[in-house]
This record gives sequence, C-alpha cells and structure tokens, in this order.
Amino acid sequence: MIWRSVDLRRTALRTLLQLQLNMAASTFCPVLLPLSRINCKLNGIYTLISLNKTAAYSTGLSVKKTGAKTGLPQRGGKELRRQIKQVLQPRTERMAVDQDWTAVYPTAASFKADAVPLPVRMGYPVKKGVPPSKKGNLELLKIPNFLHLTPNAIKKQCEALKPFCTEWPAALDSDEKCEKHFPIQVQKKDYVFAGPSLRHPDARIVTLTVKLSSLNLDDHARKKMIKLSGERYNKDTDTLTITADSCPLKQQNHDYAMYMLTVLYHESWKIEAWEKEKTRADMEEYVWEDSPSQKNILETLLRIRPLSEQQEEGEVREELLGREEVQEYKDSVTKLKNEGETEGNMQQYKEAVKKLLSI
Amino acid sequence: MCWIIFFFKLITVIEEPDTLFQTLTVLVKGHDKAVLDSYEFLASMAAKELGLTLAKVSEPPKNIERLTLLKSVHIFKKHRVQYEMRTHFRCIEISKVTGSTAQVYLEYIQRNLPEGMAMEVTKTPFIYMRSFSNSDVSVFHMLKPDSV
Repeated sequence: MIWRSVDLRRTALRTLLQLQLNMAASTFCPVLLPLSRINCKLNGIYTLISLNKTAAYSTGLSVKKTGAKTGLPQRGGKELRRQIKQVLQPRTERMAVDQDWTAVYPTAASFKADAVPLPVRMGYPVKKGVPPSKKGNLELLKIPNFLHLTPNAIKKQCEALKPFCTEWPAALDSDEKCEKHFPIQVQKKDYVFAGPSLRHPDARIVTLTVKLSSLNLDDHARKKMIKLSGERYNKDTDTLTITADSCPLKQQNHDYAMYMLTVLYHESWKIEAWEKEKTRADMEEYVWEDSPSQKNILETLLRIRPLSEQQEEGEVREELLGREEVQEYKDSVTKLKNEGETEGNMQQYKEAVKKLLSI
Repeated sequence: MCWIIFFFKLITVIEEPDTLFQTLTVLVKGHDKAVLDSYEFLASMAAKELGLTLAKVSEPPKNIERLTLLKSVHIFKKHRVQYEMRTHFRCIEISKVTGSTAQVYLEYIQRNLPEGMAMEVTKTPFIYMRSFSNSDVSVFHMLKPDSV
C-alpha cells in the first residue's frame, strides 16, 4: 500500500516537472526556473528524487526525456547509499570543464560555495595561517559577485539586445560636422541610486552651451550679448553657458534656458536710445581712431615736415594717415593695448616707431 | 511556435525621428574598488559588443569623508574614534550614440548595477528642427543660415 501511494505521488510530481521544463524551454527568458529539488520523505529518510539517474540538477534549457522509469531506491541497498552520497557531494564535483556556465548562474545570485568550482579564499588570515576557504565564508556572500556576467554571458545578452539598437547616421562622422549642424548643446543628468525616494534634486538642472560664432550676430549685437551674459560667457572658447535650475522639472528648465537664449539674442539686436552715449571708457577693446595716440603721431609728423601754405590741414591729415608706416604703427599700438605686452608686440612697436621716424 | 510570434512583436519601428546623443557619460560611484573594476569590464565589453565608441574610461580621484566622534557615551572627551567613508569613481564616456541604442545600453548597464553602487548619467542630445517642444523650434531663427 505504501509503495503504491508513493509511486502515484512520484508520477504526479514528474509530470508537473515535465510541464515546468517545457515552459522554461518555450519562454524566451534567460532565467531558469529552479527545478528538480523535490524533497520526499521515503522510508523515514529524506531523499532527493531524481528524474534521471545521473544528475539531481538539470543543465541548460535542454529537456531531458525520462524514457526509462527511474527504479525505486532499494531498501537499504547499495543503490540508495550511492544516490545519497552523490547528492550530498557538492555540485562542483560533477561539473564538466566545458559546461555552460550561464546555466549555473543565469541571474544575479549570492555566492554558493558548492556551485562555484573555484578555490577562492577571502578574509583576514588567521595568525600564521591563510585566508579562510570558501565554505561558509560570509565575506564572499557579502560582496556583490559578477558570476552571472562572464564574457560569454555578456556576449549572449548583447546578441539578444542588438536588434533593438540603431546605427549612427554616416553623414555625421566628424565633430566639426556635428558642431556645424547642431551648434546648441543641452546637457542633462539622470541618477540611479538607492534611497528612500526615486527623485534626485540635481536631476532638474539643464545646462545650455552655444558658440556665439554660430549665432547670427553683427558687431554691435555680439558686443551687447557678451555684456549682457556677463559671467556666463567664456572668451577663450567663445561659448555662452546658460544653467537653468530654478524650475522643479527638467522640461521646464529646458524651456527656460531656450527662452533665455532667445531673449538675449533679441535684446542684443535692439539699439536703445542711451547707447549713443557710449564713451571710450565703455569700449570693450582699444580703437585707434580718435585716440590720443593718433593725435600725438599726427602732431609729431606735422612738426617734422611743417605745413606749406598751399596744403590744407585736413588733406595732410588724410595723406599722413594713409601712409604705410602710420598704418603699421596703428596696428602695433592696437595690438599692445588689446593683447597686452609680449616680446613680439614690443618688437613690432619698436620697428614701427623706427620706420615712422626714419631712424 | 508561440514564442516566435512573441519575439517579433518585441521590435517595432516608429516614424518618430531618433534622438542623437553627442556624448553619454556614465559616472559610477561605489565603496569597493574591485567591484568597480568588474563593473567597468562589464560596461566596456557591453559597449564593444553593441558597437559603441568608448571615448574615455577614466578613474577620477577617490573622495574620503572622515568623521571624528566621541568614543564614549558620556564624558571622556580625550578619547575619540575616527571613521571614514571612501567613495571611488569610474567614468565611462561614449560618444555619438543614437537614442535607441543609448536606451538599450543604459537599461542593460543599470539592470546589472550591483547593490551599493550609484550611477550618474550625463546626456548631451542634439537639438534639432523636428523636436516637438515649441521652445526648440523657436531657437532656429537665431542661427546663421549656413549652419542648419
């Protein structure tokens, strides 16, 4: 009587497992359903019923057909003892060298000393000893392991992901082309972290960078734009950076940054009435026309060659200004004032003065 | 048979233009350098397998936060205990990715992010004429005619 009921139970279990195996094979997921650990109390001994005589665990997605009926473990026989011994051994003893590791660790799982056939040791060594072995080692359990992400596993998973990727357009192969076609750059940040809330306060920040050379600005508009931007303009790289973080949402900050750029642009093109009163002190760079330097040089040259009565002062001025040496002198002074004093600039100034005064 | 049909339904092509990212910077932070090394291997291998260009893989300097606390619950001001928290970083920069590829790569990377690590992703998308927000379209009249 006892045997028959056990037999019925075993067949029922076996059919259930077959169904499970079939399901696992049919769904396109890398996660294997845990199979085959069926505990059954048999004759007062807890045994693991195996579907096939050789292995207690299934390997890979292959469906092993259980053709022959597994024989009942003999009462107290060699067979039973052999099976128990096999099952109580760690799984590593039964692993083949060329097995599919992705089946052993398909997903992230904690370190199992009996499933990893590596002689790993971890922890602080005992006095005059070695680090503790992997059996029952808490340090190995605590640290995240990448056993489910071996190169093979990564390759397989990336192969499966490839159909969802798209190619970069071939026309935009260089940085210059990208800059030419897309001069405005917007930088946004996203965060992945563990915490009580999903939101990160810095995720709303949006930074907009644009080169002023790519905007449609004339001389006056450019200077006004630089003055309006203030600290946000970088002279060395000619970039304007607008950081928007006052709104709670990223999209709002993005819109605000775009709006700021538009406003700056349009305001810089406008010419206000009070802009006429711009003095020499407000100028961004040194301009030689109408400067004391020009007046001085003209006076000096006029004194060298005094005016004759026929010539007009205005005409002489024009003629003097048109001379090559004067132009050179003008360039050297402008360079000195705008770029500061360097060896080259000073040399140039010296040469220009020597030529002008014919020394 | 049913799984084949399921597989084909997974990929749908939409008419909407794909976003283009100039750079995608992934900065990973963690307390353990060995775990960061393994994660860097995963990220760079995944990028290579998916055909992405790895512009730079760097290790910014670690940040150590130290605190000095009293050792005892009550009095004993001269006896203190010091703790420190070390944060190691890894920066992976990918240049010129399309939106779909970036989504796939980031999702893969993020699902395999180990416990105890944080990630910061910096994206610089291209803003172009066919974007759907009104603010973007309004910007294009400001650019020089030959650029766009």
